[in-house]
Amino acid sequence: MTDGPLIVQSDKTLLLEIDHPDAQACRMAIAPFAELERSPEHVHTYRLTPLGLWNARAAGHDAESVVDTLLRFSRYPVPHALLVDVAETMDRYGRLQLVNHPNHGLVLQASDRAVLVEVAKSKKLAGMLGARLDQDTIVVHPSERGRLKQALLKLGWPAEDLAGYVDGEAHSIDLAEDGWKLRSYQREAVDSFWAGGSGVVVLPCGAGKTMVGAGAMAEAKATTLILVTNTVAGHQWKRELLARTSLTEDEIGEYSGERKEIRPVTIATYQVLTSRRGGAFTHLDLFSARDWGLVIYDEVHLLPAPIFRFTADLQARRRLGLTATLVREDGREGDVFSLIGPKRYDAPWKDIEAQGWIAPASCTEVRVTLAEDERMAYATAEPEARYRFAATAPAKLPVVKALVDKHAGEQVLVIGAYIDQLHELGEYLEAPVVQGSTTTKERERLFDAFRSGELSTLVISRVGNFSIDLPEAAVAIQVSGTYGSRQEEAQRLGRVLRPKADGRQAHFYTVVARDTIDTEYAAHRQRFLAEQGYAYNIVDADDVLSA
Amino acid sequence: MAATLADHLRSLPDQELAALIALRSDLVMPVPGDISALAVRAQSRLSVARALDGLDRFTLEVLDAVRVSRAPDTATTSVEAVLLLTGEGGVDQSRVREALGRLRALSVIYGSDASLHVAAGVDEMCSPYPSGLGRPAADLDADAAALVADAAGLRRTVLAAPPAARAVLDRLAAGPPIGTVSRSALTDPAADSPVGWLVAHHLLVPTADDAVELPREVSLLLRRDVGPLGAMQPEPPTVEAPVREISAVDRAGAGQAMEVVRQTEALAEALAAEPAPILRSGGVGVRELRRLARAVGLTEPIAALLLEVAHAAGLLGESGGETGDVVVLPAAGYDTWRITSLGQRWARLARAWLLMSRLPSLVGQRDDRDRLLPALSADIERVGAPGQRRAILGVLADLPPGTAPTAEDVRTVLVWQAPRRMGRGATSAGYDAAVTEAATLGLTGLGALTSYARSLVAEVAAAEQIDPDSDPLGLTPEPPASAAVEALDALLPAPVDHVLVQADLTVVVPGPPEPALAGELALVADAESASVYRVTADSVRRALDSGYVAADLHALFARRSRTPVPQALAYLIDDVSRRHGGLRVGSAGAYLRGDDEALLAEVLADRRLSMLSLRRLAPTVLITPYAPGRLLAALREAGYSPVPEDATGTAVLTQPRSPRASARPVGPPRRVEDPMTAPRLTTARLAGIVEQLRRGDAATRAARRAPVTVRANGGTAGLSGAQAHTQAMAVLQQALRDKARVWVGYVDAHGATNSRLVRPVSMGAGYLRAEDERTEMLHTFALHRITAAVPEETST
Repeated sequence: MTDGPLIVQSDKTLLLEIDHPDAQACRMAIAPFAELERSPEHVHTYRLTPLGLWNARAAGHDAESVVDTLLRFSRYPVPHALLVDVAETMDRYGRLQLVNHPNHGLVLQASDRAVLVEVAKSKKLAGMLGARLDQDTIVVHPSERGRLKQALLKLGWPAEDLAGYVDGEAHSIDLAEDGWKLRSYQREAVDSFWAGGSGVVVLPCGAGKTMVGAGAMAEAKATTLILVTNTVAGHQWKRELLARTSLTEDEIGEYSGERKEIRPVTIATYQVLTSRRGGAFTHLDLFSARDWGLVIYDEVHLLPAPIFRFTADLQARRRLGLTATLVREDGREGDVFSLIGPKRYDAPWKDIEAQGWIAPASCTEVRVTLAEDERMAYATAEPEARYRFAATAPAKLPVVKALVDKHAGEQVLVIGAYIDQLHELGEYLEAPVVQGSTTTKERERLFDAFRSGELSTLVISRVGNFSIDLPEAAVAIQVSGTYGSRQEEAQRLGRVLRPKADGRQAHFYTVVARDTIDTEYAAHRQRFLAEQGYAYNIVDADDVLSA
Repeated sequence: MAATLADHLRSLPDQELAALIALRSDLVMPVPGDISALAVRAQSRLSVARALDGLDRFTLEVLDAVRVSRAPDTATTSVEAVLLLTGEGGVDQSRVREALGRLRALSVIYGSDASLHVAAGVDEMCSPYPSGLGRPAADLDADAAALVADAAGLRRTVLAAPPAARAVLDRLAAGPPIGTVSRSALTDPAADSPVGWLVAHHLLVPTADDAVELPREVSLLLRRDVGPLGAMQPEPPTVEAPVREISAVDRAGAGQAMEVVRQTEALAEALAAEPAPILRSGGVGVRELRRLARAVGLTEPIAALLLEVAHAAGLLGESGGETGDVVVLPAAGYDTWRITSLGQRWARLARAWLLMSRLPSLVGQRDDRDRLLPALSADIERVGAPGQRRAILGVLADLPPGTAPTAEDVRTVLVWQAPRRMGRGATSAGYDAAVTEAATLGLTGLGALTSYARSLVAEVAAAEQIDPDSDPLGLTPEPPASAAVEALDALLPAPVDHVLVQADLTVVVPGPPEPALAGELALVADAESASVYRVTADSVRRALDSGYVAADLHALFARRSRTPVPQALAYLIDDVSRRHGGLRVGSAGAYLRGDDEALLAEVLADRRLSMLSLRRLAPTVLITPYAPGRLLAALREAGYSPVPEDATGTAVLTQPRSPRASARPVGPPRRVEDPMTAPRLTTARLAGIVEQLRRGDAATRAARRAPVTVRANGGTAGLSGAQAHTQAMAVLQQALRDKARVWVGYVDAHGATNSRLVRPVSMGAGYLRAEDERTEMLHTFALHRITAAVPEETST
């Protein structure tokens, strides 16, 4: 019996004890085929999923080596049934291949005839397959490439896509590495993406996903379409690309609600692409406007459903997905796998933090006691109104003020979900408020002021959840959120994780009302971060006020 | 020399006869009257089939050689002839002698070396074409006989056969020697078919309109290369299989063993939480099985297997449920099983599986009446199952350690070992299932037999080999120490007594928890997977409900956790315990409320009301466990003036009412019965009476089935009942003296007349004791019930 760091459970989870001397070696060995699910402080949980095993198979690992790795690092005997299941699952990948036939173009080829017969009979594939060339080969129309892969994945026979990519319209793009370099993990991410052709890179907020995108563009040296969540994020991309690459102002176009430029590198928002007029998508032409050589999807976990449909038609182009998490609240991870591609790179947050690329953060939950009359009012409130009542409790104002004062001289973001509360806070703290109705111009002005240090405190609404780059923000105070959304919590923490010029520690505060539903939602949201290894400290509001 | 089997058996010394009976125990169930009867039974189809079923392929091939070499006139052969015949096929003589020895020991063949007989019944139970050879030409057809008599001519004819015809010949020569053809090929001379050519040249003989047979001599000629008996297989087929590292095999198997123990425990816990009802027709229904499988996270076949095995191991039992239905739930043995070591737990399950005569793989399949077979029902009982499992494991055990043969490989070996038994297709499904089950239970790992399972199988086999003479009463207990258990326990992790507590409120147990830790965790946390538990507000409340206080929980985590207890967990415990018990629930028979606190205080202090056990909940509320009526009466008696109120708080004011019985329905006047007119009978009643008469009639007729003379003496010969009885007593006494057998007619407990041929043993105290030789039972007849007795000689 060995004393390995890994506990293999029959429900296909792997528990890695990270204080074990072999933990690092084991992590490297299992990372190719197991998905990291949770990484709290002592024991990380990985899961063996069909997607993960197929990812590994795609990367050239065979079942034998996976089984061997499990046996080598496992502390206890591994259930035989699990090994059999791993081998069988991995064996399913690659029985079918999409390849380019010299005469017939795209074909589906089988190394196992029975599988081809099985899938050809399936109703789900009706209409996607063309003529049968011989017993092992069926013609596929290029337009069905994406949908076919999606359907085959659902049938449990994922196809290996070896049909290659079009090069796209060449366009010279280089990284302008003057005085800075791609960080080692960014380089690894770019390399493994490029080797795989298409796929998703998973990096935490603040770890420089934009730079991975820029690195991929420099590899592709082709026209690029970048899809982002909103206009502000688009501007950030543009700024970064101008600063870090050889691209000039004229080469980068913005395709948004306000402007419709199509240039060699075009940044478009999901919103404008999914807007419809009279039931039809009006901006689909963008995808065929140029011969794109690379399509970058920012924040893949937020990719709206229609974009998947468009992406199904883009299978001949290289696709790069960037995200902080593959967890989708709608559970469409399979579509991400089959349409954008397998996961190509993943690094746990804490590791990157340990390397010093993201600021260490301390997370604190401040518990505010409601006044007696507020408690009575809360107790009798309608169930739907309870969260709002608790989250916007006036008792939070002095606590936020005390926290802001405590961090005087640092850049503080106050984040909330309720506009009334934000305005109250703005008045109370004498700070400007950025909300959904604030014009883009005004937002940019406030953000610039914040970046330059003119403004030390900014109150922002939900618009601040995504893709705004305020690197100097060192303190975030969260007063209310979208119920128990775990994703939102991660995004908000990401706001303060950019490395600071002086390496200061970042602070993330959540102010909650004690003994209310607010605490429960907070606990639910924190679970994601706790699973990422960020332990929360809980302090009492009185301690903050008296400090 | 002995010509019949009976003579042969008679000539055997006692020891050899005993040895034969030990080998073929079915011969003496029940013990036959004499050696002739024994010989008859030994040659019966059923007994011969049983004897042959256990023989391996080679022994059966030698038996075929014996049958082939018999001289047509004497139907006997000699060892010499058999050796000659098999020697042509290149088989080692000593192997053949051994096989002949086995056949002789079973008395399938008998006689001296020079004159070997084949027991009757063998030919019936074996193929009519021994070794795939047809009958001699002389038995078939004169023309064919003429052809084979001329050896050179025969060879020429065979060589002259066109290729298609030659292919037909070769196929039939390999056996079996008969073929079916279309009628036209034989009857229509114009049809130029290969078979037609062969028949025309007498190489094939038509035996029916559409069947042909290859004469033995032609077969032998065609078999020149392989020997007259075809290819013989003196050795079991060798298994070409990958050999795996035995340590890897053991680890994989041990992992599975640990898993199956855990799953069995989970299944038992699920049954404890919600016992599975037994269907009225027996067994646990498919729907219930599906629920269990889902609850434990197993597939249905595995759930069925574990259910059966746990039941066979005595971990589950039936019990009358709360509603009176019978349910399956963990038995008393489960709790003692749980505290034994993992290896012992596994060994108990594995032993139960090896020895249980049930096929769990049948659960959920449909029987011939298209009914789904439930688990734990009598329908899946198969007596052959344990033998089959042991045969499979025996094949694996005979291979070098670590050999991982495919199911097909093992099957080929088993077919060689007992072709007649394995040849029947019905067992193949059960066979494949047994291989899968062995893997599921961790007896095999990576397809090879694990070392601990090897010792377990050996232990089980050894337990059966113990000489029944040494322990006739079966007093020796199971050996407590088992090498299998020790070997497995060495492979399995030792139980751990500590946990890792993390900030996301998960608790990780790095190994199988020791029982005390498992108990604590089950109480304070919810299991997420085998080693991960999560502490939630609910689980903390559960612990508080069962008597823990916050300090206990803090201490528990501090003691068990190898890492510092995270602050979030401490807060959770404190938060939940602060709210715990903030609301109290109780029951009361009635309450007493009023705005006047002083009045309530007075009532509470009133000694006359002390029997009401009033308790003050609030300054203005008292409660009592007694009903409102009693409270009201007692208060009024004590001089207070309470008013009852209803659920909404409204005062209920009552006026006294006179008591009345409930209204009595008044129907139309009944018809007056007239005793003088005949009662009218309903059709149903009439039908009943007729049926009763018929039944009585039938009973009378049944009584007449006694031998004629018994019936005659019973009354029809003009004797009165009393005279007949006296005469019967005389006959019986005479028979008692002569020790002769008599027919006794008597009336049984149901009033039916019966008769029986018995030998009286004693008579007295109003009873006759007599022995029935047919059933070997001693019967007791009440003398007053005996109606007749006739000596055996006169009755026939």
